[in-house]
Amino acid sequence: MGDEYPTLFRSEAMSLVQLIVPTEVAHDTIAELGELGDVQFKDLNPDVNPFQRSYVGEIRRIDEMSRRVRFFTNQIEKEKEKIPVRPLYDCLPIVTVGPRAAQTMDELATKLSEHEARLSQMNDSYQQLCDRTKELVEARHVLRETAVFFDSASTAQTEIRTSFDDSSAPLLQHDDREAQYSGNVQFDLEFVAGTIERSRLPTFERVLWRVLRGNLYMNHTDIEEPFVNPSTGEETRKNVFIIFAHGDSLLAKIRKVAESMGGTLYPIDSNADKRSDALREVTARLEDLQVVLYNTGNSRRMELVTIGESLASWQDVVRKEKMIYETLNLLNYDVRRKTLLAEGWCPTRDIPMIQVALRHATEESGTNVPPILHELKTTKKPPTFQRTNKFTEAFQTIMDSYGIATYQEVNPGLFAVITFPFLFAVMFGDIGHGFIIFCAAIWMIIRERAWAKADLGEIIGTFFYGRYIILLMGAFSMYTGLIYNDIFSKTLHLFHSGWDFPNGSTDGVSNGHTYLFGLDPGWHGAENALIFTNSYKMKMSIVIGVIHMTFALCLQVPNHLRFKRFSDIYTNFIPQMLFLQSIFGYLVVCILYKWSVDWETSSSAPPSLLNMLISMFLSPGSIDPDSQLYRGQGTVQTILLLIALVCVPWLLVSKPYLQYKEMKAIKEQGYIGLQGEDTIGHATDEQLEGEEEGNGRAIAEADDDEGEHHDFGEVVIHQVIHTIEFCLGCISHTASYLRLWALSLAHAQLSDVLWTMTIGKVLGMPGVIGTIAVAVAGVLWFILTVAILCIMEGLSAFLHALRLHWVEANSKHYEAGGYQFQPLSFARMNED
Amino acid sequence: MEALFYNVDAGFLEGIVRGYKTGLLTQNQYNNLTQCESIEDFRTQLSATDYGNFLANEPLPISTSTIADKATQVLVDQFNYLRSNAVEPLATFLDYITYAYMIDNVILLITGTLHERDTHELIERCHPLGVFDSMPALCVASNVEELYHTVLVETPLARFFRDSLSAAELDDLNIEIIRNTLYKAYLEDFYALCQKIGGPTADIMSRILAFEADRRSINITINSFGTELSKEQRARLFPAIGRLFPEGNNQLARADDIDQVRGACEAVSEYRAFFDSSATGGAPSNANGSTAHLLGELDDGGVGADLEDRFFLYEVHLNKQAFLQQFQYAVFYAYIRLREQEIRSLTWIAECIAQDAKDRIHDFIPIF
Repeated sequence: MGDEYPTLFRSEAMSLVQLIVPTEVAHDTIAELGELGDVQFKDLNPDVNPFQRSYVGEIRRIDEMSRRVRFFTNQIEKEKEKIPVRPLYDCLPIVTVGPRAAQTMDELATKLSEHEARLSQMNDSYQQLCDRTKELVEARHVLRETAVFFDSASTAQTEIRTSFDDSSAPLLQHDDREAQYSGNVQFDLEFVAGTIERSRLPTFERVLWRVLRGNLYMNHTDIEEPFVNPSTGEETRKNVFIIFAHGDSLLAKIRKVAESMGGTLYPIDSNADKRSDALREVTARLEDLQVVLYNTGNSRRMELVTIGESLASWQDVVRKEKMIYETLNLLNYDVRRKTLLAEGWCPTRDIPMIQVALRHATEESGTNVPPILHELKTTKKPPTFQRTNKFTEAFQTIMDSYGIATYQEVNPGLFAVITFPFLFAVMFGDIGHGFIIFCAAIWMIIRERAWAKADLGEIIGTFFYGRYIILLMGAFSMYTGLIYNDIFSKTLHLFHSGWDFPNGSTDGVSNGHTYLFGLDPGWHGAENALIFTNSYKMKMSIVIGVIHMTFALCLQVPNHLRFKRFSDIYTNFIPQMLFLQSIFGYLVVCILYKWSVDWETSSSAPPSLLNMLISMFLSPGSIDPDSQLYRGQGTVQTILLLIALVCVPWLLVSKPYLQYKEMKAIKEQGYIGLQGEDTIGHATDEQLEGEEEGNGRAIAEADDDEGEHHDFGEVVIHQVIHTIEFCLGCISHTASYLRLWALSLAHAQLSDVLWTMTIGKVLGMPGVIGTIAVAVAGVLWFILTVAILCIMEGLSAFLHALRLHWVEANSKHYEAGGYQFQPLSFARMNED
Repeated sequence: MEALFYNVDAGFLEGIVRGYKTGLLTQNQYNNLTQCESIEDFRTQLSATDYGNFLANEPLPISTSTIADKATQVLVDQFNYLRSNAVEPLATFLDYITYAYMIDNVILLITGTLHERDTHELIERCHPLGVFDSMPALCVASNVEELYHTVLVETPLARFFRDSLSAAELDDLNIEIIRNTLYKAYLEDFYALCQKIGGPTADIMSRILAFEADRRSINITINSFGTELSKEQRARLFPAIGRLFPEGNNQLARADDIDQVRGACEAVSEYRAFFDSSATGGAPSNANGSTAHLLGELDDGGVGADLEDRFFLYEVHLNKQAFLQQFQYAVFYAYIRLREQEIRSLTWIAECIAQDAKDRIHDFIPIF
């Protein structure tokens, strides 16, 4: 098996291997195996706390490093102008294996912490400068806004005097109060000015109102531009406020409230000259500060650019190292021998490659103690590993998402490569639509290299992942399109049609030709076209469905042979096959026979096959002579029905009976509780053997006593369910294949409707208007064709093809009781 | 009947909160935590729990207060999620949970202002669940009336305050009185709300709130020994609900020493256990089962501190019981309290690790 070429038919043969790794090369070995990506390590210390394992210290150090790297990434992402991050394949690789590995890591750690220190220091000073700038900007705003306010007050002063007498004016009205104060006391009223967040302003105002019992005058204006916090990028909007009040205690209260509500106060002089002086000074200082700020920002940017140069490689190294140490933590540390014991699964075929990798790792690390690898015998079920390439990967994924195949089971993913696109195409049959998606797939395949690296987003990414499925779906759709003779709901006229329509009559006259391939174009537009295609497609779906199910059922046989369950062939496979064939196989034969008979020349009318099948059950043996298909039909049907009926108890009873007999035989020989004893004896034998060879036993062996427990009741119940499921399933699954007909019909009708509603309406129009109309309708038609017919209908056909594979076919043979092989692999790490 | 329509409004949130509850640390995880050698270990250990990587981006060394803050932040985020998805009457119920934190914040602020602490520092120390808009303005209040009229009048706390309004100056004693009056009013109001909601919510919440009220009464009594608080004043602070009310409360009002407090609690068998073991020492309290046993052995702390632990333990016990019944709101309250307790435990363990006080590390209160 090991020498055979890898195949998708069964999953890879796996071996449980044990590695004995000297501690000094452990890191390099794991690194090498991670590059290879072929070993799935088992956790050999399941009882040990994560932080009590041997390499916690290293992991913690790596965590700290990765925190720093994350910090850099954050900083770079936050920067408004994009900072180039050199992609990984462009970077100088950092070598973390070999004798200098520890030193490299130390250097990297110090480098990271230096960068972090520098960056956070720069951030701090930048932040400080920003804060100061912000304060100055705010101060400038306060000065400007208050100046406006004071100016308007002093000009308005004279006219306002008149209202001074009116002392009964309500205190609440701002205009009046403004007038009174400004007019009355010539600005020797004291005031507080500052800024506050806009969202807090209403609360602030309300609180002040209550604290001062209304004894204040407050004015505020919005500051237009928002303040941006440089470290978080948040925008805050602020307001300038100025509050007049009387008395020191009140002012103190205002100040306190303002400060505790997050406001900033600025000393403003009531003297206009001093105010303009202050404004000038503030502006000057602001300019200075902005220069400094610019320089600081620049040098911070420079630092980030330097970091960006090697950030990707740091990220990579940190991630790899973390994976390595996490894997090392899974290994068992043997203190006595200063070695690490590793156990894991790997494909048997790849053991030589792993050996080479191990040797390479030893050479790299400069020691001459190579890690030792040997296979272990085990009763544990190995993981399932299907070796795929970029073509088969997507098909295999379709099957894997239903369930991972049991180890070495026949893999339906192999057959899905053809059956899946084919069933899709039966529903999607149209040369034009098939060609569109075929071209789309070709385009994706051409752009493959470029797109594989880019992040395409979820939707496009999914399509791209399935590009080879789409390619085959397109190709097959063109093929079925040729059979249906459909191209965008029109027909091709490749050969001579078998029908003539003389003198515009609607009755076709056969002219003796036979259309060579596909549907005769003469049917197109005929009144009874729908009746004909319906009958044809319905029967075809049944034929395809029964063939597909029969094939799926046959896939049981290699499984039974491989797993040495020979009795299953005649307890499961044969009755199931007979049951299926005697009812639905017979139906298919009848369909084909009915097609082959020329009913024009026959003496009787064509019988309805549906009624035939129903009466086969309801009145076995008796056939109405009017609806007889062939002679002796009654006898044949009775025999078939009897076969089917016999199959049910056969399926139901034979397997439990065989099991029962087997168990009884064992009991009669006096081997009760045999299994447990057997394993113990077995284990001690191997243990001794292991001791002799001087190598440790598999450590995780203790818990793998998975011996199947034969509970007779369970077997019976399982078989009963299985029988019922199969017999009912045969009927419902056959009916389920009718979806092939329904969807292909819907597809054809929809494309027909689309054509007549858009281009069909404008095609006959004369002149320039006609040309324009055709152009507009053509564009509309094309867009709708792609959106509705290719994408929407395509998705729906895809879904139904998926269902036919998962439910109708897989239920016939697929156990799907395995678990995925997940090797330690650096390449896979990057996918996550 | 409530089972019929409960899930229409609150079924989703109950599911969420029960999910959150399974994220509470288990005894096993606590065991792992107590074995940690350093705060970094602690962080690694916590990252394996539902807390996840909440500390991953903190630069080393991590202080215990950061851990507490971050853990509280987790709780607050969860609470806000619940609150914003809640409809009446659950919304009001959840609001009531925050009122307790508001009261604490108000008291913290006015005490702080009284002792002339920096307001910003005080605001940072406030519990984020109890933050309200006009809170910072509390620092200007110099007497009770001002406090009410300037700030509290527009908060939900106003109605608790109305009854206790007096023009007294703010001093330590008065603040303490305000706190307790507020709490009294709050508990009674909450109790009334739960009764109004009715059904199992009322059953379970009244049990929890009754204990809360009794605990306050006992604490007030014990703490007022040897202070200038008169007995009449003391009696007025006792909430008019709870299992000690009215009989036990009357006795508490007259109590002069701890023995009389114990006498007052004799009537309630569960409460008797608190004093039994704290006085005699060593005898495990039967009310709390095996978990209490842990604490029964640690009698080197004072009676008060020990009593407090017992109270916490019993509270945890009550809150855990709230999860045994479905179709009621008490789970929300219970979850918040349990999470709070967990944060206290975490902080305690972290503190013990940081100060290398391994011998006391087991003095936390486990939940599961």
